[in-house]
Amino acid sequence: MVIFNEVVYVKLSRRNFLKLVAAMGATAFITNYKAEIVSALEEVKDYWHICWLNGAACTGCTISFAQATDPDILEILTSITVGNSRLPIALPDYMETIEPASGWLAEHLKERWKNGTKGRRILIVEGAIQKKGYCVIGGKDFRDHVKDAIDYADHIIAIGACACYGGIPSSHPNPTGAMGLQEFLREIGRDDLARKVINIPCCPGHPDHLVITLTSVMLGIKLELDEYNRPKLFFGRNMHLALCPYRPYYDLGIYTTKPGEEGCRYKFGCKGPEVMTDCALRKWNNHVSYCVQVGAPCIGCAEPGFPDRFIPFYEPITNRRPFFNIDPNYIWVGGSVLAGATAYKVKKDKKEE
Amino acid sequence: MVKVVVDPVTRIEGHLRIEMNLKEITTDTGRWFIVGEAKSAGMMFRGFEIFLKGKDPRDAFFFTQRICGVCPAAHAEASNQALDIAFDAVPVPPAAVLIRNIIQCAYYIYDHMIHTYLLVGPELGILCKYPPMIPPVLGKEGIAKLGLGSSYAKCIEMQRKANEITALWGGKFPHHASGYPGGVTVKPTNERIAGTVARAVELWEFVANTMIRDIQAIIQANETVGEKISEILGVNLRGLEDIGVGTGYFLSYGMLPDPENYDDWLKVAYGEKGRRLSAVFHAGAWDGNFKDFDLNKIREYVKYAWYSDEYSGMKPSEEETVVDMNKPGAYSWIKAPRYDGKVYEVGPLARMINTFGLKWKIPRVHPITGEDLGDFVYKVRNPKGSVLDRVVARVANALICANKLIEFAKMLTEYKDSSICKYKDVPEKGEGFGLYEAPRGALLHYLKINNKVIERYQCVVPSTWNLSPRDDMGQPGPVETSLQCGTTWLPTMDVPSVCSAIWGNDYGELLKKALAPLGLAELNMEPVNGQKYNTTIALLITRSFDPCIACAVHLIKK
Repeated sequence: MVIFNEVVYVKLSRRNFLKLVAAMGATAFITNYKAEIVSALEEVKDYWHICWLNGAACTGCTISFAQATDPDILEILTSITVGNSRLPIALPDYMETIEPASGWLAEHLKERWKNGTKGRRILIVEGAIQKKGYCVIGGKDFRDHVKDAIDYADHIIAIGACACYGGIPSSHPNPTGAMGLQEFLREIGRDDLARKVINIPCCPGHPDHLVITLTSVMLGIKLELDEYNRPKLFFGRNMHLALCPYRPYYDLGIYTTKPGEEGCRYKFGCKGPEVMTDCALRKWNNHVSYCVQVGAPCIGCAEPGFPDRFIPFYEPITNRRPFFNIDPNYIWVGGSVLAGATAYKVKKDKKEE
Repeated sequence: MVKVVVDPVTRIEGHLRIEMNLKEITTDTGRWFIVGEAKSAGMMFRGFEIFLKGKDPRDAFFFTQRICGVCPAAHAEASNQALDIAFDAVPVPPAAVLIRNIIQCAYYIYDHMIHTYLLVGPELGILCKYPPMIPPVLGKEGIAKLGLGSSYAKCIEMQRKANEITALWGGKFPHHASGYPGGVTVKPTNERIAGTVARAVELWEFVANTMIRDIQAIIQANETVGEKISEILGVNLRGLEDIGVGTGYFLSYGMLPDPENYDDWLKVAYGEKGRRLSAVFHAGAWDGNFKDFDLNKIREYVKYAWYSDEYSGMKPSEEETVVDMNKPGAYSWIKAPRYDGKVYEVGPLARMINTFGLKWKIPRVHPITGEDLGDFVYKVRNPKGSVLDRVVARVANALICANKLIEFAKMLTEYKDSSICKYKDVPEKGEGFGLYEAPRGALLHYLKINNKVIERYQCVVPSTWNLSPRDDMGQPGPVETSLQCGTTWLPTMDVPSVCSAIWGNDYGELLKKALAPLGLAELNMEPVNGQKYNTTIALLITRSFDPCIACAVHLIKK
């Protein structure tokens, strides 16, 4: 590991960097040295074009992206340039929330994205996809916007719980038929594309997760995905078992039951034991804090089946009541049964035993 | 008749379409197009009210934040206040009120900042020839050499700092986690207070120096813009204070309650008339004079929205809403809330007027050094509301929040060991209103609990007021009113040409050169029948309201 550190402090060429990634394994390397992979990007010689679509979204993922640090969003959009062109390495041709153009021109600029170099066009989808008629942009249904874009996309990223698995708008009884991007692609018979989607859940998506995924795509580093197409890099460890700083309380049987008490949040509804995410380690907003640290429970936003699989948020996993006759331990997501709750046997309160 | 449609309106939250029927006017200088009639339409619907039904009431705090990722903290607060009352967990302990106030102040500063620089700023900067507010298209080099986008760039750094404060107390932003009926879950520790103050001082310096300087520069340049536009059009406009003129009715619910007088804050939510005078921002229904706010005067109309007419004109606590996507004449997912049957504007301007009237004086004393930078003084230019007044009000609002943020953090040191939550179990039955101010204006949450689950949830949000379609009486909503106020000029000249006419050819040429490589040569030009119309002023008016469509079309209920 010492060599590891020394190497990183030397300015790496892109070639050496990639060699090193191959030698050391992408996972450990990328997690720890984000700034380095970004500097390696400066040697990429062609533009990457981004099309960022918003469907049934709250725009929280866009705002979350704006909270990125090292590099921040301004550096991404202005400083990491291609040669001396002054143009950013990744040009967001279409991004409703921040782009300069409106109306006709905004839609037209999507053409520039479509005409980008083959292999270098990234499609990012924020928000769920609904039944026809609930989201119309520029006179065209959002479903058609997605259908229209997917054939041009060389890389597809779904950001946030909604785009990944349906998220909040898909909560029972799912009045607008909201679903995640992969499920939508399967519905329209495009399994081939559904397999390509990289899901970056959480509500909102974490800016680090997105920036690292984007740079990995640009550097040609293949991220290993889990069965729900989440990068194992971020979603490969169980928060409760592997990362929680409040775990000693759990082991001692000391629990928080109401606000203000110090202890493991399990009895206060924490879903950490069922959630695969690195929140406890990475934290949020420039690594300041995360939900559990402010006395709140983890609500499971990194998992398929969020939110219905984890409500009531303040009830312990074992107390969840069947919701509209659906057993929350077996909620269907994109056609596959999740059995998270039963897979992990919850440790009993020592005091109660 | 020429009909110009802008769809999507970008640099707002969500999916908005505006439709304008133009009319021709003849002046001494020629024939011009202005907006005769305007319609604004929300284009996305998710149905929050439907899926909140039957859920644990405590989940509402998390769900309703997801109505909008730009203004989640305001929904969190309104939801929490409705829950406090429904759980009978009031008054909320002072430490919890202070923590909530700190989150709100930090969050307001972030929100007003990104709107001022990232969303409405580019049009203002370009129109007023003010480099710090023109986007940094030339990157770091352009910022260093030309000051191009210097404030825009700084804003990105500062909004992040503001959100770090929210994360300290709420775990993360967007969508913080620390609210609980009757208080909060997060404890006031030295570490959190110190982390807040350190960041708050930086924020204060940015708001009190840079934002105030920038807005004063815009106010000044605006005079030239007014003169030149008047000259070109052969009309008499003072400037942006005569563009986007509203109804003159302003509604506010008040914000930042006094932690030591929370009972006064609660009265209005229980249906008493009042103005919440103990809070930093007051409630009120300004109609040219200060008027008490009365919760019972709110009604929602749906004649022109895709909902069944059966329950039009009902109170938020009574109405039932059913989707009717094929209704003739309907053109929006947004309902039309009205106060006392009239069209009220909500937002920072409404807050400022209901609290301070038409003349504002805000101190600018450095919280640490005590250095006095001089009061920020502003007299509302157009008492009916205008683009300029709205934009200035937003900055004034941010300054007040920056002042208060540090005060609240200091106050909290006295409450370090006191209770953070008046804990109550989920009640069998209960109901409550949460009345708060989102950055975009008055925000109402209503919740009814039965059998320990949510029986009914209803929100009336700021952009529903501002972006509302016509009501059953035929009155256009505030944005529609502002667009058709008679000064929304849609020139057939493109953006660089307009700028040349105002500021000289050099400036126009510079803009042309900057825009073309980005594919933006025809920025804001909408084609209709072979002719292109410049929609910059219409967009400026729409954006001056800071539209948030995800909020406006949040919920319905069956």
